[in-house]
Amino acid sequence: MSLIQSKKYKDILLNISKNLNTKYDHEFNLSVSDGFTVTCRSGNVESIEHHQDTLMSVTVYSDYKKGNASTNNLSEESISSVIQKAENISKNTQPDECQGLPSENYTKDESKDLEIYYPMDFKIENAIDLTNECESEAFKTDKRISNSEGSSFSYSTNQHILLNTKGAFGSFNSTDYSLSCIVLAKEKKLMERDYWYSSVRDFKKLESVKKIGNMAAKRAVSRLGAKNISTRVCPVIFSPEMSVSLISNFLSAINGEAIYKKSSFLLGKLNEQIFPEFINIKEEPHLSNGPGTRPYDSEGVLTFKKDIIKDGLLKTYLLDTYSARKLKSKSTGNGVLTNIIIDSSDKLESNIISTLDDGIYITEMMGSGANTLTGDYSRGAFGYLIKNGKIQYPVTGITVASNLVQMFKNIVSLGDDVDMRNRITSGSMMINDVTIGGSS
Amino acid sequence: MRNIQNLILDNYDLSDYKIERVLSTACAKNIDFADIYFQYKNAESWTLEDGIVKNGSSSIDSGVGIRSVCDDKSGFAYSNDFNYKNLVSAANMSKCIVKHGDEKKIKIGKPQKIQKLYDSISPLELEKDDAKVKFLKDIESYIRNKDSRVDQVIINISASFDSILVINTDGIKEFDERPLVRFNVMVILKEKNRRERGSAGGGGRYSYKNIINTNLGYEFADEALRQADVNLNAVECKAGSMTVVLGPGWPGVLLHEAIGHGLEGDFNRKKTSAFADLIGTKVASDQCTIIDDGTISERRGSLSIDDEGCPTQYNTLIRKGILKGYMQDKLNAKLMKTKPTGNGRRESYACLPMPRMTNTFMLPGKFEPSEIIESVKNGIYAVNFSGGQVDITNGQFVFTASEAYKILNGKVESPIKGMTLIGNGPEVLKKVSMVGNDLKLDDGVGTCGKDGQSVPVGVGQPTLKIDEITVGGTQI
Repeated sequence: MSLIQSKKYKDILLNISKNLNTKYDHEFNLSVSDGFTVTCRSGNVESIEHHQDTLMSVTVYSDYKKGNASTNNLSEESISSVIQKAENISKNTQPDECQGLPSENYTKDESKDLEIYYPMDFKIENAIDLTNECESEAFKTDKRISNSEGSSFSYSTNQHILLNTKGAFGSFNSTDYSLSCIVLAKEKKLMERDYWYSSVRDFKKLESVKKIGNMAAKRAVSRLGAKNISTRVCPVIFSPEMSVSLISNFLSAINGEAIYKKSSFLLGKLNEQIFPEFINIKEEPHLSNGPGTRPYDSEGVLTFKKDIIKDGLLKTYLLDTYSARKLKSKSTGNGVLTNIIIDSSDKLESNIISTLDDGIYITEMMGSGANTLTGDYSRGAFGYLIKNGKIQYPVTGITVASNLVQMFKNIVSLGDDVDMRNRITSGSMMINDVTIGGSS
Repeated sequence: MRNIQNLILDNYDLSDYKIERVLSTACAKNIDFADIYFQYKNAESWTLEDGIVKNGSSSIDSGVGIRSVCDDKSGFAYSNDFNYKNLVSAANMSKCIVKHGDEKKIKIGKPQKIQKLYDSISPLELEKDDAKVKFLKDIESYIRNKDSRVDQVIINISASFDSILVINTDGIKEFDERPLVRFNVMVILKEKNRRERGSAGGGGRYSYKNIINTNLGYEFADEALRQADVNLNAVECKAGSMTVVLGPGWPGVLLHEAIGHGLEGDFNRKKTSAFADLIGTKVASDQCTIIDDGTISERRGSLSIDDEGCPTQYNTLIRKGILKGYMQDKLNAKLMKTKPTGNGRRESYACLPMPRMTNTFMLPGKFEPSEIIESVKNGIYAVNFSGGQVDITNGQFVFTASEAYKILNGKVESPIKGMTLIGNGPEVLKKVSMVGNDLKLDDGVGTCGKDGQSVPVGVGQPTLKIDEITVGGTQI
């Protein structure tokens, strides 16, 4: 996205804000993104998709009543009709004294470089070469790689602008590059599929095509010959991606909305022990190159660094303006989540699998069995049987069940194999006493 | 009412001639076909929580997608701006899938007579906003009066009206206007220190009146309360391999996950599905006949035409256990040398079409539901599910029960919680030993995700018994 375009969008918003009905408070959120995705399969281009998305959302408040409307058409006519619509909706909603624009700590500064914007003039031809190479690296890794769902590269530039009629005004730009590869391994009529990907803000930091292709292939091959196992209660190591999924269940349970709606198993647990003492969880909103980095949240409230779990204790809920008012507290700038880091005050295990005598290493979970109201947890899984610190064979058709309250307390160690690709970053986690359901 | 004609074609002066020019640009000589998809979608949503209707939202999403297809390659570009110049530039980006080639001369067709499965009327404009608000408040006070243990009630009603026009180089030009209404109620009951959730809802391709002016909202409210009450008494579930009876209706999500996705044309053309090359072979027990039917009037998963302009159909996927066919879109049908089946769907103008399900269900069998439950010595009766997922390559699927009971000596006993089923698609349907005579379709709540694209779908089934499947739970 060029600077000229970027200025154009800001001007559109500034112009609108001059002619508003002052009976209402208004908030405008504009996001624009541009880019493409190239997918190649079996050495050929499968698709080239050009993306160009615009979304303008208008929220209005009047006498504690709220209305919201959005459009993807930025013509003057469409924008004024969407403002009108939001105002009309607010006339039919009921007053709630917690509704309204944020009253403090909102963005005014827009000059800070967050190191998440690295635009390039990326040629489609180069993207095609990259994806083809990545897939062919996967095929080269192992003879059992028999088929592919393809390799994809995507690039996008994004711009966000926020303005409200109490004086908040901010904007920031970001770029996303990602390269992924999905392949199938086949042996004796059995097929298994797996993938790997890299996702970064700066193209220079993208993992090599070789690494991505190799990882996808190795992961698919390692699934071949999976066996069923018997039902048991044992220690389980959750891979970094699966640990991230457990932590995201924790984060939804401490979200202000879940708390004021009383639909969380962590209701009323502030300053209580949720994790073992060695676990710390922080939010770092301004991390250079961070996947979740942003200067302000979805309402324009400035984001800031904070401890969420300190020495195992729950230090804060994650609040936006509305949930903060409902809970008689202040917004924590969490209208959105930024970067979340799970860390340990103990040494991180450099080879966590070698520390497990007898248990399961889980690398995939399926289904929607995490209940944030009760903490009950029950999902399907795929993983590997571990004996004496070594992987024995892959296991399939198993289920993982426990309660999140127990699972968090039963974490015994964290690995140093931290996955940096998501907003939530964690290494592997070993958790004691998890019920594994099996079929034999 | 023709949103596309008035708001887009007339407004931006897009004559047939101009669209022919755009398609000619998108369809260079070595391109097999090209299509252009106009969309104008209006949606709104009203939510009640904490006793008040505190939020309403409305959105308009409009745009045009242009696709060029050559063999198994697709070029694609879209725009939110309908100016002719923009369409031509999108067409130029779309055809870059092939290196060069002159333009083809394209003549677009006329709309055909298509059987309409729903009214071309926007639900959003038929009902006044204050009537929707009043309805939500009425349901809420009904719930609070009915049970003193109610701790939280969240009710939502939403609707959309999706107008599309698809024109392609094979002479298809079809309009469709698609209404969709959805209602949902969630309650949390509190008893002593325990809090449990129950939810229910439904909808279809009709107007708000079908919910607001009927008893449906109250029935869903009763159902949500009943479910939360059952969950308050649920005990932990034992893990292991056992016999499971699935109730009628929404548990048909099993078919959607275990079988449906694996029968989508794209996965079978690429031979990445566990069902690839199995047409004509036995993939399920004799009692299983499975249908995908996009032609049921006013159902959530139905469409008069799919997103490539093909009328939807009644497709038999499995007849008496034998695999009969896959679900196809244009591209995959052509490459597999078969015909499209009306299953070419896309989330919006900004996405490429893919083979997708519509309403997928199993035909009824001969057994009384009571007879099926009585036949089980020790097992589980699963009545409701919160969702599922499948790996189409190895066939592994998972789904999670939101309401289930133990069966002991042919009798339904105490409710259980936190139950997950895991199985293998091609194997599990061979273990279906009894099929009930009580086929029921779900209440109109399903949304299916594939490659990041969500589309509304329906599922259904009669009561059925699976002899052996792995159940997940905390107890051993």
